[in-house]
Amino acid sequence: MTGRFVPADHQVALPREQLILTEEPGEERIDVDVLFVGAGPAGLAGAIELARLVRGDNEKGNGIGEVSIGVLEKAAALGEHNLSGAVVNPRAFHELFPELKEDDFPFGQPVAKDALYFMTEKKARRLPMPPSMHNKGNYVASISEIVRWLGEKAAELGVDVFTGFPAGALLTEAKRVIGVRTVPSGLDRDGNPMSSHMPAADIVAKVTALSEGTRGLLTQAYRQWQGIAAQNPQVYALGVKELWELKQPLDKVMHTMGWPLPNDAFGGSFMYPLEPKVAALGLVVGLDYPYRNLDVHELLQHMKLHPLFKQYLDGGELIEWGAKTIPEGGYYAWPSRLSGDGVLMLGDAAGFVDVPSLKGIHYAMQSGIYAARAIFNALKVGDVSETKLIEYDKLVHKSYIRADLYKTRNMRLAFKDGFYKGAVKAGLMTATGGRFPGKRIQMHRDADVPRDAGGDVAFAPDAKLTVSKVDAVFKAGNATRDTIPTHLIVGQDISAEVAEFYSHLCPAGVYEVSDGKLVVNPPNCVDCKATDVVGPRWTPREGGAGPAYKRM
Amino acid sequence: MAGVMAVLEQRGGTLKRVSHEVLTAARGLADGVGGEVHVLLIGGAGVSAEGVGEYGADKVFVVADDKVADYQADLYASAAAEQAKAGDYAAVLVSATAMGKDLAPRIAARLGSTLASDVTQVKHDGGIVVVRPVYAGKANYTLKVTGSPCVISVRPNAVTPVAVARAGHVESVSPALGEVRAGTVEIKAPERAALDVAEATVVVSGGRGLKEPEHFAMLEELAEALGGAVGASRAVVDAGWRPHAEQVGQTGKVVSPNLYFAIGISGAIQHLAGIRTAKTIVAVNKDPDAPIFKVADYGIVGDLFEVVPKITEEVKKIREG
Amino acid sequence: MKIAVCVKRVPDSEARIKIGGDGKAIDDAGIKLVLNPYDEYAVEEALKLKEAAGSGEAVVVSVGTDAAQETIRTALAMGCDKGVLLKTDAKELDPLPVARVLAAELKDGAYDLILFGKLAIDDYSHAVGVMVAELLELPCVSAIAELEIADGKGKAEREIEGGVEVVEFSLPAVLTAEKGLNEPRYPALRGIMMAKKKPLEVKDISLDAGGIEVEGLAYPPERQAGKIVGEGVDAVPALIEALRNEAKVL
Repeated sequence: MTGRFVPADHQVALPREQLILTEEPGEERIDVDVLFVGAGPAGLAGAIELARLVRGDNEKGNGIGEVSIGVLEKAAALGEHNLSGAVVNPRAFHELFPELKEDDFPFGQPVAKDALYFMTEKKARRLPMPPSMHNKGNYVASISEIVRWLGEKAAELGVDVFTGFPAGALLTEAKRVIGVRTVPSGLDRDGNPMSSHMPAADIVAKVTALSEGTRGLLTQAYRQWQGIAAQNPQVYALGVKELWELKQPLDKVMHTMGWPLPNDAFGGSFMYPLEPKVAALGLVVGLDYPYRNLDVHELLQHMKLHPLFKQYLDGGELIEWGAKTIPEGGYYAWPSRLSGDGVLMLGDAAGFVDVPSLKGIHYAMQSGIYAARAIFNALKVGDVSETKLIEYDKLVHKSYIRADLYKTRNMRLAFKDGFYKGAVKAGLMTATGGRFPGKRIQMHRDADVPRDAGGDVAFAPDAKLTVSKVDAVFKAGNATRDTIPTHLIVGQDISAEVAEFYSHLCPAGVYEVSDGKLVVNPPNCVDCKATDVVGPRWTPREGGAGPAYKRM
Repeated sequence: MAGVMAVLEQRGGTLKRVSHEVLTAARGLADGVGGEVHVLLIGGAGVSAEGVGEYGADKVFVVADDKVADYQADLYASAAAEQAKAGDYAAVLVSATAMGKDLAPRIAARLGSTLASDVTQVKHDGGIVVVRPVYAGKANYTLKVTGSPCVISVRPNAVTPVAVARAGHVESVSPALGEVRAGTVEIKAPERAALDVAEATVVVSGGRGLKEPEHFAMLEELAEALGGAVGASRAVVDAGWRPHAEQVGQTGKVVSPNLYFAIGISGAIQHLAGIRTAKTIVAVNKDPDAPIFKVADYGIVGDLFEVVPKITEEVKKIREG
Repeated sequence: MKIAVCVKRVPDSEARIKIGGDGKAIDDAGIKLVLNPYDEYAVEEALKLKEAAGSGEAVVVSVGTDAAQETIRTALAMGCDKGVLLKTDAKELDPLPVARVLAAELKDGAYDLILFGKLAIDDYSHAVGVMVAELLELPCVSAIAELEIADGKGKAEREIEGGVEVVEFSLPAVLTAEKGLNEPRYPALRGIMMAKKKPLEVKDISLDAGGIEVEGLAYPPERQAGKIVGEGVDAVPALIEALRNEAKVL
């Protein structure tokens, strides 16, 4: 009796009837021409490109006329829900801002040196850099800062950026998306309106671009509703990241593999110098690990005590903490259609992440740029149906997004059976330019991978370098109202084993086990979406709830 | 001769404790500038300046008039500004109480002078220098203040009163009181609802260490003995043991009592962020490694179910005589 | 009813304060700047009074840098009608010069009420609103927690230590808002859209030199780890002794 279980058996279905609305838009209605849902790099790049196309067209005379562009964001302020490593390829910035130089972009330092290590509990061995991981010409950056900068550019172009307004449902008409409904705010724990109550508002748009980011809720609902499948299911990793002020400068971009992860978990760590003495540090683990008790946050805490990291962290100070999932399925997990009637899917929501090079930001921005071009052309001819918006699919499939991700199409998938087999296969794939093994590796949904006892993280925290989950949530800037109604949908009859799994899975201490029973603390949630993948469903809460990342 | 004028505060004709604090601050500053401490006491016909000399006042000006028995902003401001103009003062000091926070800017505006509010230190160091906490106590300014005279309000509890005997010569004065623009017509007793944790001078907070909601009765008893309020950690509020209004911490209430008890609270940063400005913190916890001990001024490692009743018993003994 | 609300752009209360290289001011790179929370109560009260009166105008006034326009827009999004920015890059810690430029702006505005937050959470001065009232020779009640306005007269309550002062005055008057006066509304989507089109006048001003010079800005001393008085119930007498005679809090 090991208590083995399959997470999917305990997961509730997506509440589609709440997410796909067929009723008429209500009284609190606002009309825009184009709405981007989510102010990340994809949505903001799209809004900027579209505003520029409109402006350029109107300047030529007999143009398209006024096009109102809105961007909806659930965070209280721009950048507060964005989290990434990040080493950024500036390519999409150049395309979006041809008049600017690299110095003008909101980046930290250029990458000077790259180093890859294979770690064991006591040692770290330097490995040769695989070609995909070279970062020459790239920059260490904070995605929160990038997003704030893009937001300013968008506002200068007349784009309406609405922060603090999560989209809670799609407004639809037949099979067309006609906008979104926001989430009401100011409800008490039982869902009753308080004096600060603000009802939901309907935003009606000719085109709705879903740039929700990783594990986008409306994207999931739309795909399920319209039956848009993929060759492989999307798989996810959970990344836990910390920002540190260092006493000892870090002069290189570091990646590690191996310890503290067990061999049958896929992932690795990173440490990037955002400034000479400010470093981003994190651990990313695929959610297809076969264990019940693997805990990414705890693994990261343990990892910080390893000499490789300790030498930099000693005497330093933890500034920020955060967590987020990453869509890792690559090319084969792309939706078979990237657009539909009045709707498009962008960035992480569509799965535009290349795992071997650990990049997603420039693909997200690039997809926003393509979306904007397709939307512009559709508006120009007054037809926003799928027959016109499919231009977006074509642009993406002709682009470097597809070329890059096709080359590495099986790379992440190779690791589903453990690290060593995966490493050998990945080497062959690199050598053959992605042609090995010649066919698609079939993946399971993360939620279908059985979990068994094990994966426990045993170490003695030291109160200097390590941080508890409760304190980590504080460092995420999470000041969510404690009296908020729960936004998490937990399955029925959760056994002690499953409760244990959730408590280790969630990096923010939302789930705890007390006397074998699951205890849920929803205000702790930092919207990483990990449990939405393999456990309780996530739905959006009132605007401004969740973390308040400053420089993640 | 340049000296310092301190405006004292009374309620019902009796000096408030903060008056000794502001006097001590004034004495220190006057010694620095080489001048006298003059006191202005405004109150009703029977107001008494007794004992003011013991805390370093050279001269005491008393305005005794039933029109100004209670704080009347316009009349007090007029009296203080007139009296300040009549002397040659380097500074006018007021306690940063509800009255002082209202009065100090009025005096400064009437004198056309500089105001430094809510300072925790005043000293003479090549000029008048004050320390003032800003950004919710996350940083302290050291400021050089000029103006003739400058007006400074001193945060309550920041200065420890020191007895220094001086003449304390009492003189009745009647500066122009001017007109009432906005008049206080009544002073009501505060609504006698349970004392709010954010305002109480003593807070007794409990956490998961209490094990069951019923055990908060023990904390209520201690809080009552101390005239304080009961607070709670987020964990026990989330568990539904205590109402949200009692929650102390970053997402609850930020408190700055003189005395804070953390009973069975381990000390998550979330909680610590809410008690940063408490003056004295006492922690009782069975875990000697609990983070709360890193910020507590006094800690007892032990079983709270034994320790707390004993504290209550001792406190009652003191209170009863 | 014509109401002015004076607001300030300040670092968010959760902001991590980092002292700049000169040791005299904060490094505001990356700091989130928001509408001062106490000013939100003032804005809300102005909107409630205007709504109750059925007509009128709520004008937002701020002294600050160009970026303060965004803060004014927040108040406009909540429902105020127009904004005035008295633009200066100076950061003056002495409240009187700031009060003077505001008083000059407000003097001839024929306002029935001028509202402020009781303090700004950056410098904790508690002063500018009261000073403006003094300069304009208007009735003023500071830190109000309750307000009634009827027939050109007002009644406000302000909390004092152990009591509540009830203050009466006639309009026009200046009031500063305490927490709890009301529950400020969030700007609605429609309000944000409309705020972009509301008038916002920017006037260049200069502030007189004040009488406060910054010598330094420093972090407060870390809270010293205290002492473990002892273990178990036997340690209680020592604790009581320390609280009485060392900390002097009993």
